[in-house]
Amino acid sequence: MSNIGWKDVLADEMSDDLAHEIDIFEGQMELMGQGKLDEKVFAETRLRRGVYGQRYDNGQRHDGFESRELDFEEKERIKGPDTLWHAPGMQRIKVPGGGLTADQLDVLAQVADEYSDGILHVTTRQDFQLHFVHIEDTPDMMRRLASVGITTREACGNSVRNVTCCHLAGVCQTEVFDATPYSEAYAQFLLGHDDVQDFGRKFKPAFSGCEAEACGLVMMHDMGYLAQIREVDGKPKRGFKVFVGGGLGTVPHQAKVLSEFTPEEEILPQTQAVARVFARLGEKRNRNRARIKFLVAKLGIEEFRRLVDEERKTLPHDDRWTAYLDTLPHYEEKPTRPPTFLNGQVHSSEFNQWLETNVYAQRQEGYSVVTVNLPLGDLTSQQTWELADIARKYVGDNVRTTVEQNIVLRWVSDSDLPSLYEELKAIGLGDPGAGTIVDITACPGTDTCKLGIASSRGLAGELRTRLTVKSASLPDAIKDLKIKISGCFNSCGQHHVSDIGFFGNSRRSGNFKMPHFQVILGGKWRDNAGSYGLAVGAVPSKTVPEVVDTITSRYVEERTKGETFQEWIGRIGKKEARNIIQPYMQLPAFEQQPEFFSDWGDPRVFSLGDIGIGECAGEVVSLFSMEISPAESEAFEAQIALDENDPARADDLAYSSMLKAARALVRTQFLDVGDSPDRIVQEFKSRFFDTELFFDQYAKGKFGQYLLDRHSNPNPNPDNDSAHRLIEEALLFIEATHACESRVGGNVLVEI
Amino acid sequence: MIAPHRLSVKFFFEELSIDVESFIPVFHRWIRENVVPNELLLDVADYKHIVDGPAILLVGLEADYVVDLTDAKPGLLYVRKRDAGSDLSDALGTTLSQALNGVKLTETDVELKGKLKLRTDAAMIVLLDRLNYPNSANGDGAAATAAQTQLSDDLAPLFGDDATVTRVDNDAREPLTFELHAPSAPDVDALLGQLGSVG
Ligand code: HEM
Ligand code: SF4
Repeated sequence: MSNIGWKDVLADEMSDDLAHEIDIFEGQMELMGQGKLDEKVFAETRLRRGVYGQRYDNGQRHDGFESRELDFEEKERIKGPDTLWHAPGMQRIKVPGGGLTADQLDVLAQVADEYSDGILHVTTRQDFQLHFVHIEDTPDMMRRLASVGITTREACGNSVRNVTCCHLAGVCQTEVFDATPYSEAYAQFLLGHDDVQDFGRKFKPAFSGCEAEACGLVMMHDMGYLAQIREVDGKPKRGFKVFVGGGLGTVPHQAKVLSEFTPEEEILPQTQAVARVFARLGEKRNRNRARIKFLVAKLGIEEFRRLVDEERKTLPHDDRWTAYLDTLPHYEEKPTRPPTFLNGQVHSSEFNQWLETNVYAQRQEGYSVVTVNLPLGDLTSQQTWELADIARKYVGDNVRTTVEQNIVLRWVSDSDLPSLYEELKAIGLGDPGAGTIVDITACPGTDTCKLGIASSRGLAGELRTRLTVKSASLPDAIKDLKIKISGCFNSCGQHHVSDIGFFGNSRRSGNFKMPHFQVILGGKWRDNAGSYGLAVGAVPSKTVPEVVDTITSRYVEERTKGETFQEWIGRIGKKEARNIIQPYMQLPAFEQQPEFFSDWGDPRVFSLGDIGIGECAGEVVSLFSMEISPAESEAFEAQIALDENDPARADDLAYSSMLKAARALVRTQFLDVGDSPDRIVQEFKSRFFDTELFFDQYAKGKFGQYLLDRHSNPNPNPDNDSAHRLIEEALLFIEATHACESRVGGNVLVEI
Repeated sequence: MIAPHRLSVKFFFEELSIDVESFIPVFHRWIRENVVPNELLLDVADYKHIVDGPAILLVGLEADYVVDLTDAKPGLLYVRKRDAGSDLSDALGTTLSQALNGVKLTETDVELKGKLKLRTDAAMIVLLDRLNYPNSANGDGAAATAAQTQLSDDLAPLFGDDATVTRVDNDAREPLTFELHAPSAPDVDALLGQLGSVG
């Protein structure tokens, strides 16, 4: 039997930080298993590692006739409120700006077939998702991802989510400049940053290179950055127009302008200031009003801006704000092949069709961006490593995911296009129609999402099949329309910003419920998600293909020359738009049309019984609870190190666990304590020890003294006994920290 | 030898005269009727939009049943994900008997009966465990060779002494894969009987 695990095999390939974070998470899993962690704290902890719940993980499933209990073992073991430990879940994998290397694709493919169902799913925010993953497998999965520089940290939970960026950045015809290195620096700066740990809700940033196109979708994000160049002192100066408070969801908000021009050196401190204002003033209790859009709306943008400016002035300086700027002049992507041209030869009509829809001519002559059109955002493990090889051959590491759930290969030398097309086709990834009406976006919906009402993916698959059959004969006016579908009002499928959008809901007919989709018309994808569509009425799910036909035919008949779909909807108005779908809004009785009472791709009689508690919002737990939990995990690791006869490591971990606990406590009063042990101990001493706040009735300052002693007198050669003692002390110290926080807590005084 | 993290066995269709979609209601019914009492069946995943991939999955806690079209070789793939056994032989026994049970369920299902047939004279066996069973380039290949011998030894009593287990020469990133070829196609019930499964 081998005892060697991925942890050992990959020890040299992971960065120390990532490796350590994963060990801590594994320790927290272990503690949860022993019932030593609060379920909400653990839920938020795993969410901040991208480990999400999935449909049926409360142990209930409706089988079409009745709701049945799923017979999981150890039902008392949970991984969050109402979430069974053994039930498979979803893993979200963060891909900043969608940027991927061929080696990363290889590893993604491998973890998908060993830990998931062999399918990689690209999300609407350039991430990957794997489904049906067992929580026990997540630490090793994270290690394998970490070995190629991927982290799942803060992929979910109330934190800064994936930082998105146009997939064309750097090669785009219309961009002001390449936003990629800024978005990368931004993602790195905020990852795990102290000031983003205490949000009441998630926070989604996006970068875009130009105003008119859609790619960055800055208008619908919590924070959006639009590249700008201004003349300052006669010289061109780079910066961004900064937006705040956009967002979709039930109540969509267009972002407001926070600043017309923030120079490049100010974007990180300004964001940090925004984060602090959001953490301090954002709603924490009512999760439905906790996104920053509600805070901006409540305060008004002027007041919000004033608060951010005030906050900015008080921030302690951080070199990282500008350090990355020095590297910008050297930032470049390297093509693997020289530029060439596609001319002369006659190609098949198949190729020409693909060329028309899936190929974008780069700003750099002789190169193109190829969109690999993924049906419903899915690809198999096998396709993924085959795609990695194709990437290596033609473009190297110039691969990105897109917010339309596709993958692009950048820097394709033009004369390679025909052979590249053949190779993509051979692996089942040569579908034309990228960005057209057949390239439908859909959230996970009832397939896997706990909040799903109707089957967004089932509907998307059906529409895709039907529209593909007739795509050649579709009038030009509708070929490029966008269809986007969400399984419920939460809008993860971004239906508000499509020409024809749908979100799932339900209506009753007799004693039965019928899956429905609300029809949203005339949203604007371009202009960075420029405006939101009009909700015109709900139709039974099974009528949607006909509804799409009817709406598009009317548009073709009635449009005036050059009139866009949005303009047409604007012209006819909501009432007339509703009239168009009215004939489909009648509900047949079950006996008349039983097929209307089940959803696309799911023969079960429709029910809402499977909806569970979604984890989109994460759990609101105190900053202290989140920060003390890794301390506990480290103390636990120290015990393991001792069992493994490694007293030096045990001593080190025990000490580090005390520092973490002290830091968590200090941060209830003073957020900017930083990471230096000296500073932490000094602040702990002056704020809690010398003031006797830390003292308890019987032990007085004894437990606090443990930290002070170990800090000032490290043992150069710890042996098993001394390490054992220190671990005991660490455990007592952590307990005392908890006790102190609950005595003084609730009275948190934030000093800047 | 250590039980691999996951182990899968795929039997190929000899005939398949229905769309893969037809498996969706069947799999939902299997969940409802709990047709595999020693496994927990959870849900059905529809991936038929993917070309040449796992088209329809019956997802379970211990295992997945997949109507799989990969490499244009349609078959019923059984992926054992956990609790397969303490070592490779044990895991193979569990996986094979559950896979064959799946074959039997499929062939005798009220809706599928007569519309498909699976062959038992060939199968594909995959060790989904790149840590303990790396494929070629990685490591010296000792684990692969030993696994091949073990599989041959374990399968001979079931599929005949002339049955061969050959290594599939696939890419190093792919999992370690073997093909079983038997001179004749044993009866599913007989195989299940030998494996000690009630079937
Ligand atoms: C109340 C709960 C939820 C709300 C309000 C919500 C809202 C949203 C919104 C508005 C987006 C897309 C647009 C954006 O970038 O802002 C999004 C993205 C997404 N949501 Fe949700 N969501 C919720 C829960 C869920 C759940 C339970 C799932 C199930 C898996 C899910 C899956 C996704 C996916 C896959 C994306 C693309 C995101 C990414 O990669 O970061 N959402 N969500
Ligand atoms: S829109 Fe609704 S159904 Fe779709 S993923 Fe979001 S929460 Fe789930």
